[in-house]
Amino acid sequence: MSKQQLGEFLAHSVELESEARERYLELSEAMAEHNNSEVAEFFGRMADESRLHLEEVAEIAEQHDLPDLKAWEFNWPEEESPEAASYEAVHYRMTLRQAMLLALDNERAAERFYRSFAETSSDSETRRLASRFSAEEASHAAHLVKWLGKLPADPEHSLEEDDAPHMPE
Amino acid sequence: MKQSVKVRAKDYKSEVKPIWCPGCGHFSVLNAITKAFAGLGIAKDDTVLVSGIGCSSRLPAYVDSYGFHGVHGRGLAIAQGLKVARPDLTVIALGGDGDGFSIGGNHFLHACRRNVNMTYIAMDNEVYGMTKGQASPTTPADWDHSKLTPHGPGVRPFKPAALALAAGAPWIARGYSGNPNQMAGLIAAAIEHPGFSFLHVLSQCITFCPEQTDWKSIVSERSEPALSDADVAASLFHHEDGFQTGLLYAAPRNSWPGPQAQVQSADISEGFRL
Repeated sequence: MSKQQLGEFLAHSVELESEARERYLELSEAMAEHNNSEVAEFFGRMADESRLHLEEVAEIAEQHDLPDLKAWEFNWPEEESPEAASYEAVHYRMTLRQAMLLALDNERAAERFYRSFAETSSDSETRRLASRFSAEEASHAAHLVKWLGKLPADPEHSLEEDDAPHMPE
Repeated sequence: MKQSVKVRAKDYKSEVKPIWCPGCGHFSVLNAITKAFAGLGIAKDDTVLVSGIGCSSRLPAYVDSYGFHGVHGRGLAIAQGLKVARPDLTVIALGGDGDGFSIGGNHFLHACRRNVNMTYIAMDNEVYGMTKGQASPTTPADWDHSKLTPHGPGVRPFKPAALALAAGAPWIARGYSGNPNQMAGLIAAAIEHPGFSFLHVLSQCITFCPEQTDWKSIVSERSEPALSDADVAASLFHHEDGFQTGLLYAAPRNSWPGPQAQVQSADISEGFRL
């Protein structure tokens, strides 16, 4: 039972970190395509950070038997893995501050996910790893809070499309 | 050539990067398709994505499988022809609400009726995004957010699931871009269904319809099993809000063409011989 718990926890952890990295990469490329280079660079950095965490989790996972779960078989608290930014939460005109706030939400959601395993799993190794991962996510969130504190407030800004259709009168 | 090594979802993506707006629901559909392929272990070389024209119809370029970016509204016609000629392939047609229900509306009706063993994914954002916010067949009548229809289109929107049912589709499901994992499961089930499977996806366009970010709080997952009685399903599709997701209707029937009428590609070559 404990082996099964640990395997399922690690399978979810690998997927969580992998999805986070993929989503940040996707967002970085999409922002670059739409000439929002500042936000593209930020999401690129978040993808790099996620890759490092993914490698760490994957290295641990390699030492265990993991269930082979399909995308729709994972058991997430909400529709998607916690650290993947919601699709509708971004906009090509978003500011760096808005991007950072989104990333902060993701880090905190991941922290809550890991913490729930740390607090409720009956397997000691699962609890130990979940506490470690949770603490790492908390430290990422703390870094983001620090960076956010250094950013000037956004000027008045609208996410409305400003390239109106051509309307010959 | 068949693949023997397990392929991950991201491995099904091509080197071509999407040019969709950040926040577009079509990213989610792309990810759901690749997750479904990975889940089913589908070989890239045995899979074809066929599309029409529009933002969503760019999707085949982003998947590392065979693909055909067709003409406006004709994705289904091309896909059905391909499946009949090459029944060994997994064929998926996809496109948007304008492409599928307006320009290609007639092909949609007859594809439902014909029941070729393939999947159709309609990525519905209730707008023509590529032409900067024109009303489409699924745009609400009072949607006045576009300068192109400043008083709203004033026309009752289509109900795609009801249309599909009336035209004879044997498998009807609805997904939502905010839940790509559920959508991946639906796509996998659609591919495995032995007949025409229609997946209606609520895929937000946050650039021209920013109000669609509210869909997240409106969409709900239908907990009841799929309906198999067409009368009951008709009642559901006419009276629901259009935001319930899941497999809604499944009533398998024989697909077309039957085994006797099945044409092999060699027969087609023979037919074209001078």
